[in-house]
Amino acid sequence: MSDALIRNFIIPLVQVLVVLGVAAGAVAYMTLVERKILAFMQLRLSPRRVGPHGLLQPIADGIKLLLKEDITPARADRALFTLAPIITVIPAFTALALIPFSGGGSFNIFGYPVSPWIADVNVGVVFLLAISSLGVYGIMLGGWASNSKYPLLGSLRSAAQMVSYEVPFGFSIIGVLMLSGTASMVGIVEAQQKAHLWYFVPQILGLFIFFVSGVAETNRLPFDLPEAEAELVAGFHTEYSGMKFALYMLAEYTSMIVVACIVTTLFFGGWLRPFPSVSALAWLNFGLDKLNPALPGFFWFFLKTFLVLFVYLWLRGTFPRYRYDQLMKLGWYWMIPLAIANVILTGGVLLLLRR
Amino acid sequence: MGMQAFLQKVLLLELWQGMWVTLKNQFRPHITVEYPRETVEFAPRFRGVPRLRKDPQTGEELCISCLLCEAICPTECISIVAEKRPDGKGKQLVSFTINYERCCFCGLCVDPCPTKPITAIYMSHDYEFAGYDRDAYVATREELVDGKPVKIYTR
Amino acid sequence: MFRTEMMDINMGPQHPSTHGVLRLKLVLDGETVNDTDVLIGYLHRGVEKLCETKNYHMIEPYTDRLDYVAAMYENLGYVETVEKLMGITVPERAEYIRVLTAELQRIASHLVWLGTHALDIGAMTVFFYCFREREIILDLFEAFCGARLTYNAYRIGGLPWDIPPGWIDRVRHFVKIFPGRQKEYETLLTKNRIWLGRTKGVGILKSEDAIDFGVTGPCLRASGVDYDIRRAHPYSVYDRFLFDIPTGENCDTYDRYLVRMEEMRQSLRILQQALDHLPAGGVMAKVPKRIKPPVGEVYHTVEGPRGELGFYIVSQGDDKPYRMRFRSPSFVNLQALPHMVKGALVADVVAVIGTLDIVLGDVDR
Ligand code: SF4
Ligand code: SF4
Repeated sequence: MSDALIRNFIIPLVQVLVVLGVAAGAVAYMTLVERKILAFMQLRLSPRRVGPHGLLQPIADGIKLLLKEDITPARADRALFTLAPIITVIPAFTALALIPFSGGGSFNIFGYPVSPWIADVNVGVVFLLAISSLGVYGIMLGGWASNSKYPLLGSLRSAAQMVSYEVPFGFSIIGVLMLSGTASMVGIVEAQQKAHLWYFVPQILGLFIFFVSGVAETNRLPFDLPEAEAELVAGFHTEYSGMKFALYMLAEYTSMIVVACIVTTLFFGGWLRPFPSVSALAWLNFGLDKLNPALPGFFWFFLKTFLVLFVYLWLRGTFPRYRYDQLMKLGWYWMIPLAIANVILTGGVLLLLRR
Repeated sequence: MGMQAFLQKVLLLELWQGMWVTLKNQFRPHITVEYPRETVEFAPRFRGVPRLRKDPQTGEELCISCLLCEAICPTECISIVAEKRPDGKGKQLVSFTINYERCCFCGLCVDPCPTKPITAIYMSHDYEFAGYDRDAYVATREELVDGKPVKIYTR
Repeated sequence: MFRTEMMDINMGPQHPSTHGVLRLKLVLDGETVNDTDVLIGYLHRGVEKLCETKNYHMIEPYTDRLDYVAAMYENLGYVETVEKLMGITVPERAEYIRVLTAELQRIASHLVWLGTHALDIGAMTVFFYCFREREIILDLFEAFCGARLTYNAYRIGGLPWDIPPGWIDRVRHFVKIFPGRQKEYETLLTKNRIWLGRTKGVGILKSEDAIDFGVTGPCLRASGVDYDIRRAHPYSVYDRFLFDIPTGENCDTYDRYLVRMEEMRQSLRILQQALDHLPAGGVMAKVPKRIKPPVGEVYHTVEGPRGELGFYIVSQGDDKPYRMRFRSPSFVNLQALPHMVKGALVADVVAVIGTLDIVLGDVDR
């Protein structure tokens, strides 16, 4: 096998498989973690019957969903009905390709250097935004193809919601891009390392807007209108069951994880340990960096991502749901002007500092 | 708008307070129990299924077949057949059935029961029911008096 | 060109937030509600007719099943109606214990309302906190009468049992801890901007309309009408307690929320006074074994957690009523729903169903 083939095809393929596997596992356990954390907030016991402390619950759920009857409503548009969940899942997973899970070094496997990310694209952030907005098609099509009233309302809501929150979602990142001067995900983390500053400090407003729009983009409480169970039963996926339903869930949780990863990368220094330039804190690497400089990065990245995800669940445990018109109002009256103000402010301060 | 109200609005203070409540509660002990493994304790007056009992001293059945419980039961789920005692004094039970499918656990049947000091029919603490057919829910006299908890799992 | 069409959508009878088997036929223009048709009867059991075949003792368990969230009040209203018809005076201790259990029941019922209302609006955690406190009350009821939902706790002429030992202390303990717990719900909701947005100005019911529809209870008081049967036509020993009747100004869902929250506090006040003045003595008046009220008819109301709970009995001197009729507050309040949601959004319909606090067992009977 030629060297080029291995470098350009086999290694990325293996990377993709590993990331897919880990992501699928993470999603499965995310559901369990969500149920556990919500249960603790609500003074309940969490799932505990399957396996020790309910650790096998996600597997049981997966098997249940796989074995369930897969119903397609008689009047539904069969092709679109099947296609829609797939359309939602693919962009969610694609986005994972751009996340740098660690950095500062690469692994040497059989003499080939393997980086801890799948791809480092120089327009990474823009690509992420583009990809993440594709998911809404699946939701819209799914709601439409069900040929039923509640899903239709749900998909209408989601179309409006996701399109409006796309704007602040994109705008809020621009501050970070201005500070780092690059749109590559890896580059942004390296810029934070160089600046000795995680960007959530100068970009606290940007972080807030990005996170709120991220929650809205992924349809989570308090913005879970497309699937508001108290109003629309289950919104766009009312008619879905079995594996197709599982795909929607998979997409939702993957997008959650992706947004958390982006927040970590852009605002919390990605794989960097706290105060990476202070050598007195080097014990925070747990000596793993002696094995490979990229190893401690994984730990810090996953820890930060988990904390961001925890905030997601925390919000869900605390807040009521917005109403459709209020959500729109929040997006257009507050989020977008704030995001633009943030861009102008960051730009102005940068100009002043460069003088 | 005062300064405080303004800050409250901008800094989302009330939202943070709410989040603090849920965070705090996360570290409180849970209040639910894992049911089939643990069960809650009942108050002494808890009304489970109605059953018959024997005199704890003599071990004889207490019921004197006065039919008062049958008369007051609002769902008509008790049916008693009684006959004259051979010695001519009062009556004795031939059969006594309670149809648990209809019983609404109201406890009215205990009120008029004339046997003293404890009533012949009483509300037990048994509550676990599950069955695959309806006949299983018709409890006969023998099942009512033997004191074993009712468990109706038949297949 | 374009053609717009109204969309008919059936909300219920199987829907997560219609609180049972309520069915609403909404005519939607986009998400705006143009017209609402309330279709009820899915839980109709014919209790009123059934009561004509039962004697006066047997009816009480049936009243449990009307408003099963506040069954104490159904019991209370029923036994008091029969007592009024027969002219029985209930021992004072029994009256006080009735007040104690009834006010506890009001808190429990309002907790269910708050929990489900918040759950419908998306705040799921409040539901569990509410049920945590309701559980304490249900434990108290279990200790008192043996049941947790369908109590059958009173008898015509008094109570079947006195309160168990230690019960008073447990109630005192509840009265002590509850304000702190209530503060927790308030922190989660009262000032929360999302909650305000979802409830302020939603489902407005002006006082004239409320009176026209015959709406009673907290919904009426939130519309600014100061009418509480405990004060207007005191029954039992309510004329001996000091308590305020909260009223609202803006007639909206948020005011109804505030009124009910305040009612819970006032119930605590009544509990405190009843605990302090609980007299000793028996709990059962002398009543004949077979209850045969004199020929006549009677109407009696109590202030349930949902509003005016009325019982009408026609007696012909038998041991069974000739005619029995319940005036259930849920049924009457529900009639205001189409008026309240006209022009609102689908999400508001859910909020309004929650704020009306209907129980389908009470609506359909
Ligand atoms: S508890 Fe009530 S329904 Fe059951 S047998 Fe006794 S009287 Fe009849
Ligand atoms: S009331 Fe008591 S004694 Fe009379 S028949 Fe019933 S169980 Fe027997």
